[in-house]
Amino acid sequence: MVCKTIREIIVEAEKKYGDGDAIRYKIRKNEIERKSYTQLKEDSERFSAALEKLGERGSHVALTGATSYQWLTAYLGITGSAGVAVPLDVSLPAEELCELIDRADATVFVYDELRADAAALAKERCPKLRYLISMQAEEEEDGVKSMPELLAAQQPGFSCEINPDSLCTIMFTSGTTGKSKGVMLTHRNLAENATCLDMKIPERSVTLTVLPIHHAYCLSMDILKGLSLGTVICINDSLMRVAKNIKLFEPNMMLMVPLMIETLARKLEEASLLPAAVVKAKVFGKQFHTIYSGGAYLNPAYIDLFEKYGISILQGYGMTECSPVISTNLSWCIKKDSVGKLMPNCEAKTVDNELWVRGSSVMQGYYKMPEETAEALKDGWLATGDLGYADEDGYVFLTGRKKNLIITKNGENVSPEELENKLGEQRLVQEILVREKEGVIEAEIFPDYEYAKKKRIGDMQEALQKVIDEYNQGAPAYKKIYRLKVRETEFEKTPSKKIKRF
Amino acid sequence: MLEKLKEIIMNYVEVKEEAITPEARFMEDLGFTSFDFMSMLGEIEDEFDVEVDQQKAADIRTVGEAVEYLEQLSKEA
Repeated sequence: MVCKTIREIIVEAEKKYGDGDAIRYKIRKNEIERKSYTQLKEDSERFSAALEKLGERGSHVALTGATSYQWLTAYLGITGSAGVAVPLDVSLPAEELCELIDRADATVFVYDELRADAAALAKERCPKLRYLISMQAEEEEDGVKSMPELLAAQQPGFSCEINPDSLCTIMFTSGTTGKSKGVMLTHRNLAENATCLDMKIPERSVTLTVLPIHHAYCLSMDILKGLSLGTVICINDSLMRVAKNIKLFEPNMMLMVPLMIETLARKLEEASLLPAAVVKAKVFGKQFHTIYSGGAYLNPAYIDLFEKYGISILQGYGMTECSPVISTNLSWCIKKDSVGKLMPNCEAKTVDNELWVRGSSVMQGYYKMPEETAEALKDGWLATGDLGYADEDGYVFLTGRKKNLIITKNGENVSPEELENKLGEQRLVQEILVREKEGVIEAEIFPDYEYAKKKRIGDMQEALQKVIDEYNQGAPAYKKIYRLKVRETEFEKTPSKKIKRF
Repeated sequence: MLEKLKEIIMNYVEVKEEAITPEARFMEDLGFTSFDFMSMLGEIEDEFDVEVDQQKAADIRTVGEAVEYLEQLSKEA
């Protein structure tokens, strides 16, 4: 069934799967808490009612935390009351979180206690915020509302009219100019992306969700699609414990990024002298059968390797701006070297070698960024920034990238310009180029040798490494620079005096 | 501690044992990905029967720092 709003997904799922488990998560070592579809729907309605009581129905609500039952309740509650959820990366520095809260015009900030630091800073830095809500605080304190208290004070049953074409989520993604852009997605964008394709996933399958929840891929595929199929969604509490949690929750399938697939491939190969079925049972359990891969390019050799162990890897392609899935491989229709068949709600064409797509999952635009929106959206078509085409049967083939964005193996997009601008502020750095090399981010720097002479800097490598170390300290893991190359000559320039990237 | 850690490290990356010195950096010198590193921490929890604090572990860059952190955890346990 194709749903048009997020609210419709949870309402329909609850009708069908009511008392069945929707969410499972660890509360103590090896102790699992379960929440049914009815509980999830009712708690989300309580959260909607609480927002209405606060006078915040329809408001922009920023949300940060690791994946949790509380996060999901809040997200469904915000979108279920015609509000706009703004999921933010829990690993961002507090200053950046505050900047995004402000830029998204959020008036409420719901946060995991892990980020109490960001909440404290937001009180000072975000004048538009009217309420702070802690997901765990047992009672209201210092002007911070308690989510358990808010929920306990409300009854389930909240419902309101939701226009499928109204904005429901703003997701921030790296911009090529260095400033992150708020991708505006409507209910229809997300709900149809999650429900328009019958992937023949058996109802009530068990999944383990391991990707960050502020990513469109995780939100759409793991959560929204999962809920629409009555899936039992198990929450992985830490990337450190994926292997342990696979044994604990016994999932049938998982959504992953290539980085994880590579590590798990080594686990499989470690025991390759044993029969394949035994190895598979040891690493994933007998019940496991499918990995969905997205976020970045996956070397096809891994697909063959996992096949040996009876595990299918289905690769998809997409971007946040398309809610996010554009194409996906299915076990019964695969073309080698293609990143899958276009979603039924998506069409494609090629313009100057660049892939353009159109359909009900294409975003409304970038929040309050008309120029960037005009660059990306042309007459309803989304210019993907990827070079490629769709063949006559609708299979997508990619040949390269038009933009400078670095896409790391864990699916994070990093703008090299953002890092270049930050490091370029250092007096010692005259010219800098940031790029991806052999899976890590590398910075090549042409230092200001005159300045170095004045300051009597002897060891340039050491001095620049110090600059990088200082930058790394404040940067989230995926934006850290792991390699440094020092130049003795200036970079080659284009006629417009820009550094030649390639 | 270092010897046991060396064994675990070699399950994740293909490096010679001699390369695993206290000064060796996990990502830059040994070729760990961020997910390799996280998975290794999980294995360390089991092997050494300790509970690793993810935030603190994120600051570990070298093998020597990892040994130091583990020794501290073992003392607390």
